Amino acid sequence: MSVLLEAFKAIKEKHLEAKRIVEEATAQAEKLKNEAEQKALSVYEEAYKTTLSRAEQKAMDLKRKAVQDAERELKSFLLNAEDQAKGIEAKARKNFKKAVDSVLDIILQ
Amino acid sequence: MESTRVITEMILEEAKKSAEHIIQDAQKSAEETLEKQRQLGVQKANESARLLFKKAESEAELNKLNSMANAKIKANWVILSKKETWIDNVLNEVKNELKILTQSKKYLPILEKLITEAGVILGGKELEVLLNEQDSTLPLKLDELAKEISEKTGFKTKLKLSEEKPEVIGGAIVRTANGKIIMDNTFEDILKRREKEIKSKIAEILF
Repeated sequence: MSVLLEAFKAIKEKHLEAKRIVEEATAQAEKLKNEAEQKALSVYEEAYKTTLSRAEQKAMDLKRKAVQDAERELKSFLLNAEDQAKGIEAKARKNFKKAVDSVLDIILQ
Repeated sequence: MESTRVITEMILEEAKKSAEHIIQDAQKSAEETLEKQRQLGVQKANESARLLFKKAESEAELNKLNSMANAKIKANWVILSKKETWIDNVLNEVKNELKILTQSKKYLPILEKLITEAGVILGGKELEVLLNEQDSTLPLKLDELAKEISEKTGFKTKLKLSEEKPEVIGGAIVRTANGKIIMDNTFEDILKRREKEIKSKIAEILF
């Protein structure tokens, strides 16, 4: 009887130890989950900030590129206008006398 | 006793395995939670980024349109101002040529024609002729001009040279004796009167 009792006692002790191990693991698991939940907001914010910051940089690059493109187009447009002005000047110089004579004709007709 | 030892070891072994599973599951769940939050953050930021790009694109487009519009205005202004300068140059040269003409023999019949024209427009009768200092000394046949005006208007006309000497390049101002009706046929006034037509003609020839 005494041997059987000892065996039961040993099993009960180990059973309690096993229960304690599982309880400790459960507590640790709970702690891990809580920590993750607490960390979740900062992870969200960090990801948001990093992604947005990259996007802002990209948007700035886009604007800078647009400004450069516009400046290039503008330069070409103004060069074209200058050419046009030179053409006008050359034509005017050539036809100057004819225009003067024509106005004199109008006045003196 | 041996079987008891086996049973207790099994109990402990099972407990350890369960504990390991519980912790692994918790770790996995924590990692999933964090990953989910990270993805949410990225997703939300991408939504903001889309708006940001859209805004940046429309701002860039607007800036481009503004600069192009300004450039077009500037270019048009440069071209118009160049044309205007050349038109003014022609008009100045015309005035110079008219000054030269007033010194030549060709001028007298022109002046007479201008006086006659003005007299006819005023309908003849008693008229006063205003000429500049130099033209007042020219050998004008005012009686003959008056006769011509009479013939054209059907009214007996008298032309009298005024003491008043307007400062003009050439041409004449003719007015009724009471001074109420004036016909300005000076070169300056003809240029002014026909400015639109003249400028348009100059532009047509020059450009």
